[in-house]
Amino acid sequence: MTTPVTTPVTALVTAGGRTAPAGPVTELPLTAAQSGMWYAQALDPLSPAQNTAECLEIDGPLDAAVFAAALRQVTAEADVLRVRVEDTPDGPRQHLCAGIEVPLTVHDLRDADADADADDAVPRAEAWMRADLAEPCDLAAGPLFRHALFRVGEERWLWYQRVHHLVMDGFGYSLLVRRTAEVYSALARGEEPAPRTFGTLAELVAQDAEYRSSDAFVADRAHWGRAFADRPEAPRLAGRGALPSRTFRRRTAYLAPDTTERLRDLAARTRATWPDVLIAAQALYTARATARQEVVLGLPMMGRLGSVALRVPGMVMNVLPLRLAVSPDATFAELVRQVVLGVREIRRHQRYRYEDIRRDLGLLGENRSLVGPLVNVMPFDYGVDFAGAPARARNLSAGPVDDLTVNIYDRADGRGLRVDHDGNPALYEDSDLAAHQERFLGLLDRLCAGDPQLPLSTHGIATPAEEALVVDEFNRTDREVPPTTLIGPIESRAARTPDATALLYGDSVLTYAELNARANRLARHLRTLGARPGAVVAVSVPRSVELVVSLLAVLKAGAAYLPLDPDYPARRLTYMLQDAQPVCAVTDRAGRLPGDAGTPLVVLDGLDVSAHLPVDPARALTPAHPAYVIYTSGSTGRPKGVVVPHGAIDNRLRWMQHTYGLTAEDRVLQKTPSSFDVSVWEFFWPLREGAALVLAEPGGHKDPAYLARLIRERSVSTCHFVPSMLQVFLADADTAGCDALRRVFCSGEALPRETANAFGRALPDVELHNLYGPTEAAVDVTHHACAPAGTGPVPIGRPVWNTRLYVLDAALQPCPPGIPGELFLAGEQLADGYLNRPELTASRFAADPFGAPGARMYRTGDLARWTAGGEVEYLGRTDHQVKLRGQRVELGEVEAALTGQPGVDGACALVREDRLVGYVTGGADPTTVRAALARELPEHLVPAAVVALEAFPLSPNGKLDRRELPAPVYAGGPDARRPAGPREETLTRLFAEVLGVERPGPDDAFFDLGGTSLLAVRLVNRIREEFGAELTIGSLFEAPTPAALAARLADAGLAAEDALDVVLPLRAEGDRPPLFAFHPAGGIAWCYAGLAARLGPGQPVYGIQARGLIGDEPLPRTLQEQAADYVGHIRAVRPHGPYRLLGWSVGGILAHTVATLLQEAGETVDLLALLDAFPAEQWRERPAPEEGDALTAVLRMAGFDRAGERTRDDVLATLRRASSPLAGLTDHTLSRIVDIVPNHARMMREHHHRPYDGDVLFFTAAAPRPEDWLTREAWRPHVRGAVVNHDLDCTHPQLMRDRHLDTVAAALAARLKELGA
Amino acid sequence: MTLTREQIRGDIAGALGEDPADIPFDENLLDHGLDSVRIMTLLEQWRREHGVEADFADLAEQPAIDAWAPLLGAS
Repeated sequence: MTTPVTTPVTALVTAGGRTAPAGPVTELPLTAAQSGMWYAQALDPLSPAQNTAECLEIDGPLDAAVFAAALRQVTAEADVLRVRVEDTPDGPRQHLCAGIEVPLTVHDLRDADADADADDAVPRAEAWMRADLAEPCDLAAGPLFRHALFRVGEERWLWYQRVHHLVMDGFGYSLLVRRTAEVYSALARGEEPAPRTFGTLAELVAQDAEYRSSDAFVADRAHWGRAFADRPEAPRLAGRGALPSRTFRRRTAYLAPDTTERLRDLAARTRATWPDVLIAAQALYTARATARQEVVLGLPMMGRLGSVALRVPGMVMNVLPLRLAVSPDATFAELVRQVVLGVREIRRHQRYRYEDIRRDLGLLGENRSLVGPLVNVMPFDYGVDFAGAPARARNLSAGPVDDLTVNIYDRADGRGLRVDHDGNPALYEDSDLAAHQERFLGLLDRLCAGDPQLPLSTHGIATPAEEALVVDEFNRTDREVPPTTLIGPIESRAARTPDATALLYGDSVLTYAELNARANRLARHLRTLGARPGAVVAVSVPRSVELVVSLLAVLKAGAAYLPLDPDYPARRLTYMLQDAQPVCAVTDRAGRLPGDAGTPLVVLDGLDVSAHLPVDPARALTPAHPAYVIYTSGSTGRPKGVVVPHGAIDNRLRWMQHTYGLTAEDRVLQKTPSSFDVSVWEFFWPLREGAALVLAEPGGHKDPAYLARLIRERSVSTCHFVPSMLQVFLADADTAGCDALRRVFCSGEALPRETANAFGRALPDVELHNLYGPTEAAVDVTHHACAPAGTGPVPIGRPVWNTRLYVLDAALQPCPPGIPGELFLAGEQLADGYLNRPELTASRFAADPFGAPGARMYRTGDLARWTAGGEVEYLGRTDHQVKLRGQRVELGEVEAALTGQPGVDGACALVREDRLVGYVTGGADPTTVRAALARELPEHLVPAAVVALEAFPLSPNGKLDRRELPAPVYAGGPDARRPAGPREETLTRLFAEVLGVERPGPDDAFFDLGGTSLLAVRLVNRIREEFGAELTIGSLFEAPTPAALAARLADAGLAAEDALDVVLPLRAEGDRPPLFAFHPAGGIAWCYAGLAARLGPGQPVYGIQARGLIGDEPLPRTLQEQAADYVGHIRAVRPHGPYRLLGWSVGGILAHTVATLLQEAGETVDLLALLDAFPAEQWRERPAPEEGDALTAVLRMAGFDRAGERTRDDVLATLRRASSPLAGLTDHTLSRIVDIVPNHARMMREHHHRPYDGDVLFFTAAAPRPEDWLTREAWRPHVRGAVVNHDLDCTHPQLMRDRHLDTVAAALAARLKELGA
Repeated sequence: MTLTREQIRGDIAGALGEDPADIPFDENLLDHGLDSVRIMTLLEQWRREHGVEADFADLAEQPAIDAWAPLLGAS
């Protein structure tokens, strides 16, 4: 062990360098550049991210005392080193001290110990530096810098200096270093140093103020506002953004001297500088790595040329956005030219701050970045020596890293360029940075060696090793398969196991022999009508035995089948018949298909084919012949028929059998409509393998309870779900008893991880497989087995047999793992193309550049990326195609249909919150338009809402601005609502105070009201003072309104007292008449929150709660008195009717009583909903063993029957396990409930009902109950209208559980709709 | 080897990709497209080949050939 000899050297210095007591202090405002840094620090005061640091390696004899003297003089000369910064009510101020102590420590790390490793001096010094860099800097205390001098060898020194970014930038460091070297050299020679050359901080401040009040400032603002008016998305290499971290990751590389030479040479050839070339290379890399044709890079600019700042060490630099179009067809020389011109343009407006640009564009409020990676070129002058001892500078920290920064240093020290990739650790692992750096340097190498006049498409970003991995290694799927067809193996199976069960539907059971015989007879009939290999036969039969027979018959005849969904609108069916020109169409009954296409019909009803032979027909069918034609949504408004050959689907089914191994014991559920290609394997896979096919009833695929029953009763082992349907199935259906189930397949849309994990919990012994594939590639081309408790996105997985996947960038170059690109498919399973659409086929099926000559690849339009392990992850679409509940929706097709309506001038369609919404201009009635679409398009293509607009919102460059389209339901009017509750009120007041705004509404967003980042810091401080709650600035971005912040503070576990007021606004917004929901016996109405959520925006819901939950008010004596009190509260919310009332349990009795009072006062009550509530006389003669117990009542309010809970603690434990908010009740409230519950039991029994004039909507908890004497019929004397009942399969408390609330809400919503809500 | 005003102009023109004749001696070179990177490149070259002692700030403060000539030791 060596002990470092550490000498703290501190001395008080003043301007002029002589030791003196601290002199006078000058106060200055911050420059705009400094304010940006101050704010960044205020976001996270304990973050050391703003520490910048450098290390200078000095080789030669150095006199530490002289060095300290030099530092003292330079500190005295450099104003900014002597400031500290304080926040004042008028904003931050910097105090410039005349003299301060220079914090310098000198460490002698030469090995004092003979056996010590001499080489460890440098690592020890570096460890010290790292530790120092990790210390946050106290701006108010100062000093904002620190020096250390390490002696690591006889003639080798490391000079470490760390300065807060608020006072120093990269160029500033070079000034400090040059001056220090100059002063040291003079002092070492015993000479007087040349006079001070630094400008003052006051000059910087004055220059900043002058600029900000100048015409140039106004012009610059206008320039940036114009240049980025369309607010482009920042390209993010990590695919997402993150708040700044406290540290950064760094990976360092040096550009080999010959590469540096070639770089300079390429710069000369393209008439640019080497930084221009580097920026262009980074733009190319970023564009490819983020799958964009346009990127905005951030360029740190020194901002000093032609300014006094040239001689002021300080913080001046600015980051400015450079927007570049990166088209694969352009040449690299053209891209460099764009950079040269772009940088020139930037330089003209470089004094305008990046923070201000973001603010002007409204990006601050959205916490959005304007730029992607930063390219920070630092060609600063470090050609210095210390009395002849040469020095080399090394940057240790260049400040905070929001995303990714590429630092390039040219230190004029003859070592060439150093490249640091700095990354935000929240976004990049070390391995990510390494990959980005290796690829970038590889690309740079190829660009420098190549011809700059070649198109950019000749360059990919993958390294050669990565390319081999993603193109070859991940795609090793070659497999010999026999040249069979879809139908051949089914016929051989029927011949081998004629007596095995082939099909079950309702009461029908068919053996293989029976099914085969029926299909053969029909096939022979179809042949007489022209069915043969190469021909198409339409089949429009609802799911039934006849459907399976018909499909088999078409295939047996050698023809391709065209499924026509009988539910499709007539116009759609006609179009498909005309387009596909089938030789005939099989239907179950006459009139099933429109007659205007002229297709010969084969109507099964009454058709006698018994004259035909029941044996397999001979046919000249090859794997190249089409097996089926399935129509999918087409972007131009015309659906397109995908023609899939036998070889493709045969390969698919052979792979499936090999992978999942169906046996004769298996039963496969057929529930997918035949017009959706998933049905292809459902129909035919079991019949090829001797398993049985279980058919669901038509329409049954939409009913989870029915499906669960079918799976149970028919012992289904294998089935398919679209993920959204699987979600519903797991939530709603009783999955217990699905004992035979062995495997479930998902496909059709992205499978959320939560759904996969919910599946693992509900059905732990069942396999879940995620498959992916477009109709254009024989159902599925990838597969992934889901782990029962996985994390992260569920991959779509690896390629199936004889299939290759390519993830390609815009230049059709392979993307490395982790980089998103468009997914292309190649191999055996590709469709032939689109029926009668050669041009469309040519545009989607292109030559495979990686395959054998003549091979094709299909462009999916899906965005995807490879994982490092060789699986593919689905990321979304490259176009406007969307998937809704597994169905392909081309928005273009919906828009074409909208535009086709009379009175519609323009149309646009999009998906909002999982619903399709159409927008139209031109004065057509939106309701009529929607109704017309429902007649033309399949259900999944009909918008849930059509919104009429005066005109479409346009972005500044004249494109449709989809973000500006209004949501289909309007919430609230122009007048802000009153704050709800004291918390919202206080927050609204704080908004007004900090923003200086008259009357901000509870739903107004901070940044919309003119909030700045600096004001955000102040608001967070004020909230801390008022509420004692620690909020981060980040939470202000996430919850920017008083209402949202109030909710967040409530979540933070603060007093929930206003949630115990008589009126509890569960949803205050909405134009419709509110629904008042009355508390059950326990007095609290929180149980209706789930109902409010289900009734959706626009429907206000208020809970009515018992008095006395908070204070010690006396409890009401009669129910009549209590109801009269509630009428007053209700009228305060809504002075006049119509009123809509609802109550569960005792709440129902209260609702009924309030309803009679309101009617007696002349008001209209048009809805009275009673949830398992029974009138007074039913209870009167009975004791109240259940209601008499407060703890039972508390549990009931949370939806639980009381089980083993004996004490209050037991009850609270149950509530906490269930995450019930009731677990947070105070002792006081709980003890009040103990009184409130028996009071209700008493009042209820003493109450006498008066008649209510109207209908009652009643919900019965229909599970058997101990109180078997309760009956809703008892309401008859008290209700003049009808009692419309809905039975729910649950107990009284379970009525408040999610799945039953769904039913209640659906019935309520239907009733409210009838009322014209 | 000391620099001459003509040499200075020639080197600047080279860095800017212009004809030396188009670079006036008395005009602000920033208006002709000179930037910090080019100044640094020129300075390195002149230090290497002509032992120039001026620093970046000296040149960037008054970016004109007439102002540079004495700093670069040119007659």
